[in-house]
Formats: sequence, structure tokens, C-alpha cells
Amino acid sequence: MSRPFPYTYISCPCADTPVPDPARKQRSRESPQKSPQKPPPERANTDQDKKLSVEEEQQVVDEDEEQTFDPRSPRSNFSLYPPEQLLYCEECHQIKCPRCITEEIVSWYCPSCLFETPSSMVRSDGNRCGRNCFNCPICTAPLAVSTIENVTGNGPQQGPWVLSCGYCLWTTLDIGIKFDKPTNIRSQLQKMTDSTAPAALNRSRQASRTFGDLKHPLSSYASIDEQSNARERGGEEAAQKEDPAAPPMSTDARFAALKNFYRTQISETSNSSNDHLSSEFGFSSPGALNRLMSLYTSSSRLSGLYGGSKKPKSKPPVMREALTASEGLQVVPENNETDMIARLQSPECGWDGMASIEQRATQLPDARFVDDLLPLPVLLRTKRAKRCKSCKHILVKPETKPQSTRFRIRLIALSYIPLPTLRPLALSSSSALPAIAPTTDLNSLTPLRPIHILLTLKNHMFDPVRITLATPPVTPGHVATKVTVLSPQFEIGANSDVWDEALQGGASAPVTNDSRSAVLRGVPEAGKVWDKGRNWTTVVLEVVPGTLPGSSAEGGDGNPDTETNDEDVMAVAASRQDEDVLEIPVFVHMDWDADAQLDQGNVGKGSKPDDKVTRELAYWMVLGVGRIQPSL
Amino acid sequence: MPPAKAAKGEYIETDTGNKISRRSQIHGTQHIILGGKTVIQAEAVIRGDLFRTATLPTSTDPNNPSAPATPSPSTPSVAITVGRYSYISKSAILRPPSRLHRGVHSFYPLKIGDHVFVGEGAVVEAASLGNHVHVGKGAAVGSMAIIKDYAYVLDGAVVPPGMVVPSWCIVGGRPARIVGEVGEGYGVEGAEGGMARERYRVVGRP
Repeated sequence: MSRPFPYTYISCPCADTPVPDPARKQRSRESPQKSPQKPPPERANTDQDKKLSVEEEQQVVDEDEEQTFDPRSPRSNFSLYPPEQLLYCEECHQIKCPRCITEEIVSWYCPSCLFETPSSMVRSDGNRCGRNCFNCPICTAPLAVSTIENVTGNGPQQGPWVLSCGYCLWTTLDIGIKFDKPTNIRSQLQKMTDSTAPAALNRSRQASRTFGDLKHPLSSYASIDEQSNARERGGEEAAQKEDPAAPPMSTDARFAALKNFYRTQISETSNSSNDHLSSEFGFSSPGALNRLMSLYTSSSRLSGLYGGSKKPKSKPPVMREALTASEGLQVVPENNETDMIARLQSPECGWDGMASIEQRATQLPDARFVDDLLPLPVLLRTKRAKRCKSCKHILVKPETKPQSTRFRIRLIALSYIPLPTLRPLALSSSSALPAIAPTTDLNSLTPLRPIHILLTLKNHMFDPVRITLATPPVTPGHVATKVTVLSPQFEIGANSDVWDEALQGGASAPVTNDSRSAVLRGVPEAGKVWDKGRNWTTVVLEVVPGTLPGSSAEGGDGNPDTETNDEDVMAVAASRQDEDVLEIPVFVHMDWDADAQLDQGNVGKGSKPDDKVTRELAYWMVLGVGRIQPSL
Repeated sequence: MPPAKAAKGEYIETDTGNKISRRSQIHGTQHIILGGKTVIQAEAVIRGDLFRTATLPTSTDPNNPSAPATPSPSTPSVAITVGRYSYISKSAILRPPSRLHRGVHSFYPLKIGDHVFVGEGAVVEAASLGNHVHVGKGAAVGSMAIIKDYAYVLDGAVVPPGMVVPSWCIVGGRPARIVGEVGEGYGVEGAEGGMARERYRVVGRP
């Protein structure tokens, strides 16, 4: 989502701190070259840290002169966030961006029916809604359950039912599927698509179980060959019995059969000492570990070391592959591909009959044609709690219910850092040029013509905040725009009770008194804040947009060969995309006196007699002012 | 989103603080409830005449909706409800959703919550838009769609009929899919999603 002008982004300081790992942090502090461009904003209060912070401060002063935040640097992309996306950790006293948090899933829910799915069901449902929610396989729009019977009046509606897409008008009738009931569509669909599944599954399970039972007392075959031969024989018999009648299994059933088959394979080829466990335990049991370990040790030379008591096997165990359909074997039909090609070429299929790559990506691997596409159960979404990566404190914890929009914990940065808003100043006051249209079009700023921008910072804390703003005099990048903050140091009042303000009869918001201020305040003056309210302060930024490289305003050297000149301009424009976007990096330093009740151990330089601790926070923000016109 | 300078007196301000452009087209006003401090800009179309007629289901002809049936005085049905501080931009269209149910085509009420923004040229036929919902410029919200609180419909998106957009989700594309989530601070007063009061204040000032 790119935002319309004017916008403000805030840079999370984490981009400059290497890794939120205490050991790493210590190291970076010791080596000044690698240390972050900005110190951790909250300065610690212990003695040792005070020393460090002084060093840092010095270093910052040194570095600040060379290094300012460059919104155009490729790395800035990763640290700039809109203010509402940032969180704030009260333990670390730092801004936290999506990169410096970890997430935990609180609940799963279906975005379509907004029902919560219990975590135990999520896996078995394949992370998809188990109810009636489906997406269209053609266009991904949600499908609606509707009847094909045209019932009028108040009689009970009855099926057959279909799923239909309201967007592309696809219905399940297109693939020949109807439902008997309007509820529990997913299980109905599952039954339909693998009609053979339960039977085949049972059969294969039975088969493997009988195999296991049969084999178990005989598992001490003299050699593997004998064993596998015997099983092959058995398998062949089974295959002969089943194959002609058995319809092809569905993918799920085949997967289950294969899984079963390999499980029995592993249990049978592993050491016979653990073999009797195989019927009771699956892979995820301690017995399985034993089995696997013995599998490895028996086949390697180490068996002499670890399995010394047993005599080494003559041959390593050999696992065979699935041989029958009941074990999950699927033989590709003989002229499968030629059939497919013939179908592709046939006039009734054509391009429209083919499933696109996007459509196939969500379907079974052998779905090639539009007819093969099945309705997709809706993927579940999650509600997630967020933790600070470095101190593990919970920053955001939503309520579990999918419908609820409330949070149990929500530490957003906007409650701590002042909310920046940007607005061009309508220059009705400019006495020199009264004829000029007062509103500035932010999408085409005239180069070299000064404009004034009102930057309002609104404090959401209950303590008054002192702010220092700083900008590089000239914006980084190829377009040198001059920026001056007319009153870089000011104070913002506390976010006190709204009634205080109402009783005092002050201005309620910065916007309401726009006209008044424009008339009364006249020209923006250096060193004076433009306007001030209960918990907000507005200052003026004077901006002189630079000229774009290659534009006529810059050079003015009448190049006779205009064609090449144009090409140059084009090349420049192509090489530096969005070069004309005027973004101003502003360094914000804020400090305030906070109650020290949370950390009483801290008695540092900032502590005051009345249990107040001076806290500091510093960060870069980027003001997106507008686009500069290519020429005058 | 500062509106263009309008001619003086373009907006009519009602007792409850609604600012309604004289150039907007509002049909069936007796079936529309505005919660107060709602802004309706020029050329916006609000179809309050498409309300549900329970007793006479066939009287509302979908092909000729401009000739509404005479509302029965005993059951004043509401076609469109709009909450406080909602903002209907230029040329947006609000139209109650309709559905063919048991062979009868009937309209259902359209409920719009508080602090909702409907962008320029957007067409909204949803069953409900929650609070703090943003519908982008040129977006279309299909019939009977449900957009929950704090959801964000990107510019030009086409939300298919009957879709449910959960809270905090960003949807975009044609047809719309969930493409992301807004930050936790979305909807905080003055920040993104919480600009409704400011938008309201700016409207219609000389």
C-alpha cells in the first residue's frame, strides 16, 4: 500500500542494531566502528552504563555529522514503517517493528464463517475450514451453497444443492457434483471425491495388519531375501485378488496406504528385538527411536561397537517398495500422456479447458484440466500474539474470539511516540505574492519555490514531552532539497483529561483553527512554534524543493542537440525511479519525566526527588512531502 | 484527503451534524438513517428507495427501482443505516444488497458503521460495513458481502458477492482476496484509519 502524500514513516532503530542479542550488543558497544548509527534510545541509568552512554553520545555526535538517515538507501526500505504498525516495548523502552517481534498463534479461525477451529482440529483439517466454506477453484471467490430446485413460496427448501461462485458463475455442476444436504459440505465432498477411500483404506490396513501378524512369528527368517520373497509372494496374491476390481484410489487414501506400508516395512526390517513393539507404537514413540537407531547401527560398521552383543547381520536390511494397489502403488495408465495430449488438442478443450498454473498450484498434482478442479476449502487464518524478541514481553495479545476486535494487551508505538501529521500551509499570508494559488499541489511541487509545511506532533502520553527535531540541511540523494525546521525545540503538553481542555476553552484540534491561524499568525517565524494545543504542537518546516537532475531548470545551457538531451532525461528518469519524490528525514529526540515506579532500582542521573525518571527516545522519521515537478 | 474547494453553501448541515452535498442524489430519504456527523459528497448516490417490502414482495421491480412501491405506513423499513463520522466520497454509490430468495428478488438493509470511509466512485452493495472500514477509490463491494470492523478494501478491488472480510484484513484484487493485515495501531484517533473526525471537520469549510 503506497500512501498518498503527505505521509510519515518512522524508522525502527532495530535496523541499525545488529541482533537483539545481549552478547552481541555488548560486543558492538565495545567496538565503536561497528556500533549503531544511533544509540539505543533509552539510556540506562546505572553507573557503568552512564559511562558507556557518554561514550556513545560522543560517538553519536561524531557520527551524526557524517551519517544521517537516508530514506533512499536500499536498506531504509526495511526499517521504515507507517506509525500505526509499530509497537513499543515497555521493558526495553524501544520502538518495535514487525522485524523485532516474534509471533505466537492465539487461535485459528475461518475467515469466511468466522468460526474458531480448535488447535487439535487444525492439522487434521489440513489448515482449512471443515464446514461449508469453499473458494472457487477458478477465481478464488467464496462459493455459496444454493439449491438448484426453484422453490417458491414458503415450503421447505430441498436439494440437490450446489456450490456456486458469485463472481465467475462457476458451479459444482460444471464438474458434475451435487450435494444432498446443505450442511457439512466438506465431508460430503470428501466422500464423493474419494468414494473408494474408506474401503481401500480398510482393506489396506487389514492387509498390512495381517501381514504383520503373519510375519511376526516368522520374522526370524534366515535372510532378508527369503523374507522379502515371501512377502512378495503374498503381495502378488493380494494384488491378483484385488487389482481387477479395485478402482483407483484417491490421493489421500493412497497416501494413507503408502504411509501404512512404509511403517510396516520399517518395523519389519528393523531389529527383531524391537519388532513386537511395532504394532503398538508409531513413528513418534521412543520405541521408534530405538528401532531407527538399531536400523542404523546394524547396517554400519559401528554395530560392532554399540550392538556388540548381537552378531552382525550378514546383509543389511532391504526395504522393498509398494507393489500392489492396496499398498498404495499406482501404475500410470499406459497411454496416459498421449490421451492427455489428444485431449489438449481436441477442439472442446482448447485453452479455456486447461487449468492455469495458479489454479493448479492449489489442486492435486494431476489436475490438468478445468474439469479436474475441485472447490477449495477456505484456508484458516490466525490471531497472533506478539512478543518482544529481546525481552520476550508480550506486546500484543488479541482476544481469542475471531469476531472480537479487542485486545487484552496492546502496546502500540502511537501511545508513546508523538503522532506526526503533515499538512502544507496555505500561503495566504505571503504578502509578496498574493496572486498565487494558496493550495500547493503535492504531486507537482515547483522546484526552487519555497513552501511551508506544518508538522503537527500529537502526544498520547500522560506526561509532557520535550522534543528536538533535526534535519539534514539538504536532503540526501540527487535532488538537493533545502529543509529548515523553523522551531526545532519545543514542548508538547500531556495528554491530560479532555475535560481540562474543554473547561479552558482551548482549541480542540489542530485542523479546526487552520483558517484562524492563517489569518492571525501571519508569516511563519523562525524560533516560534506555529500553533499549540493541549497535547499537540505544530511547527513549520520551510522546504525549498531542489531541481531534478537533467531538468531544464537546472542546466539551462541551451543544448542544440535536443534529441540526445531528451534521451538523457529519459535515461536519468529510468535509472532513478521515484527520484522526484521529496522525502525529508527528520531526527526526533524526545525526553520526558516518567514515573519511576516500575523500575525503582534505577537511581541514575535522570532521577528526580519526586520519583521521576527522565526517559529519552530518539528515532528517525521520514516525511513524504510530495513529488517535484520535472521542470519549471 | 482534503476535498476540493466547493462553492459556498454546497453542504447542508443537519441538526445531527450531517453534511450533505446539495449535488448528491439521495433517493427514498425516509428509508435512510444517518447517525450524525456523516458526510455525503457531491454526486454520491444513495438508494434508500430499494428497501425490503415484506408484504408485497413483487412490488419492488429490480428493473425499475426508481418507481418504488408506496411504503406501508405501519412498517417503516430501513434500507440504509449509516453510523457516525462516516464519509461517502464523490460519485460513490450505496445500494442495498439484494438476493433471490425462494424465487423472490428482495432487498436487504445495508448497514454502515461508524468512522467508515467510502472512496470516490466506489459501489457498495454490502450487507454490512463494520466500524472503521475503509473502502478504496473505485472499489466495488458485492451484494451481501460482510466487511467486518477495521477491514481495508484497497482501491479498485472487487469484493465478490457474499464474501466475508474479517477484521484487520486488507483485501484487494479482482476478485478480492485477503492480501495482508493492517497494523495494531490502525484506527487510533488521528492515525491511519482514525482520520474520520478530521475528515468531517474539513468538509464544507469556506
